[in-house]
Amino acid sequence: MSGEIDVIGSFATEEMCVHAIEELKDARIKPTRVFAPIPSEHINHALGYGRSPVRALVLTGGITGILTGFAVTIGTSMEWWLNAGGKPIVSLPPFIIIAFELMILFGGTSAVLGFLLNSRMPQLDPLPGYSERFSSDRFGVLVRCAESEKDRVEGILKEAGAETVAHQAA
Amino acid sequence: MAAAAKPVSGPTYADIDRGVRKIMEAPGLAYWAWVGFCFTLVAIAAALWTRQIYEGLGVTGLRQGPMWAMYITNFVFWVGIAHSGTLISAILYLFRTRWRTAVYRVAETMTLFAVLTAGLFPIIHVGRPWYAYWLLPYPNERSLQPDFRSPLVWDAFAVSTYLTISALFLIMGLIPDVANARDVAKGWRKVLYSIVSLGWQGTDTQWQHWSMAYLLLAGLATPLVLSVHSVVSWDFAMAQLPGWHSTIFAPYFVAGAIFSGVAMVLTLVIPMRKIMHLEDLITDWHLDSLAKVILLTGLIVTYSYGIESFMVWYSKDPIEMMTFHERYFGYHGWVFWVCIFCNCIVPLALFSPRIRRNTVLLFIITIFVNIGMWFERFMIVAVSQENNFNPSQWAIYHPSITEIMITVGSFGWFLGLFSLFARFMPIISMTELKEGIHWLREAVRDDYYPGLK
Repeated sequence: MSGEIDVIGSFATEEMCVHAIEELKDARIKPTRVFAPIPSEHINHALGYGRSPVRALVLTGGITGILTGFAVTIGTSMEWWLNAGGKPIVSLPPFIIIAFELMILFGGTSAVLGFLLNSRMPQLDPLPGYSERFSSDRFGVLVRCAESEKDRVEGILKEAGAETVAHQAA
Repeated sequence: MAAAAKPVSGPTYADIDRGVRKIMEAPGLAYWAWVGFCFTLVAIAAALWTRQIYEGLGVTGLRQGPMWAMYITNFVFWVGIAHSGTLISAILYLFRTRWRTAVYRVAETMTLFAVLTAGLFPIIHVGRPWYAYWLLPYPNERSLQPDFRSPLVWDAFAVSTYLTISALFLIMGLIPDVANARDVAKGWRKVLYSIVSLGWQGTDTQWQHWSMAYLLLAGLATPLVLSVHSVVSWDFAMAQLPGWHSTIFAPYFVAGAIFSGVAMVLTLVIPMRKIMHLEDLITDWHLDSLAKVILLTGLIVTYSYGIESFMVWYSKDPIEMMTFHERYFGYHGWVFWVCIFCNCIVPLALFSPRIRRNTVLLFIITIFVNIGMWFERFMIVAVSQENNFNPSQWAIYHPSITEIMITVGSFGWFLGLFSLFARFMPIISMTELKEGIHWLREAVRDDYYPGLK
């Protein structure tokens, strides 16, 4: 959008990155995106994130797996009666094993799908502000702001310990 | 205002990246010679398997009586090897175990390739592999509807679920590390890593969902790993055969699986660490911690041998007593004593901290454990079938060259795949080492065992 600019601060440590987020929040500026080489609960907490919706998908997948397991075993046993040593046609204890395995299979698959969907992955193009060092040894904080705000945001990031502050048109 | 970054002693994030990226540099001739050797073994095994398909199972030592022998021994052995990978990557992740970070990727990779190796053996064993799909549990019109009360069908579900979840877990962990490698790679590697990393850029939302998905996968993989080898053990324990029909098989197999798997992790890690000069990433502390797991699980396995024998003696069942007498003193009695020596006596050396930190001795001990655990599987699977309720079925099993070379080929297959992966993908997790960098620095300074240096 015209008139907007991305300001990106690069930090050497997680602590400095968290500090910068806190400082921005105090100045009522919302960081647009944070890049990090490691998962960080401190960054998530500073950004005010709750729990990921991936949980709900995994629960749904797990329940679907259990139901599928029982449906496949009971349904097909009822359809094709197979008398094995006089055991009950619908033998729930062994069917629990199938349902358990499918719960894990469906739940695990849902976890990965949930991650991909919520993270908007695969991501074909580099995101604005991304630097190769953010996958290696630096933390990045990106703020999209009006051009008139640029100096103020830059000042906050530098004050918080940014090694470098770059900017590019949004 | 934030304080300036303090200088640190010990490895930094950049050091970790440098160390792992170094492994991924273009390999030399010796590496390709090793990979070529591994796949030559595979080619020999493939040729013998082709002959077996052409001529039938008569080229093996399988006879009435011992109908499950070396192939199923290998299946159980390789599934067992796989288990420690999930123990280290999932269970120890949930416990936030500090030493797992440097070795978990090796263990997880080992898991995937071990399951892939294990999965070959039921197909080889069925004799007519083009009918192997009959094992898959789906309704059909050939009156071959799978019996869901059979442990073999549980096994098909358990092992295929295990393969899928292990692969997903490995890929999930790889994504951030491969993105790291992508950012410095060139040529075809850049294309490969770009595809595998799925465009990962380490944003706050990507990490948020990745962390939750990874945690939940670990939570799901934990009961899975315990269930899979329990189900494999029920392939035997659900049968009436003396030597198989035992209620302790599930925990006995799980403990043995972790025992053999951790030994295999060390068998792979110790040479890799030496050849690639990874002493600053995989420290003595990591090896020592793995050795302690071997010691603990070895003691559980020893206890299992004891309690299994006690249960037979206490039952006074004559057929069971005869089977176990044959197991200890019969034609294949030496197999039992090899197990006792390799799995019960040799690991006791690991009580000594000095031996745990001597990489040569530790490597030798892990080789003994690998050998011992293969023979334990052989003892349970093959030797137990040599005697049963019906004397007309008593027979001695003699493996043929086909079975022996296919077994050797499976090691070539496993080691070849592992070696390829280790050179072209990040075999040590940079992300997790960075997360636990304080522990790594302590380990490099040798803070954990200062008295032993």
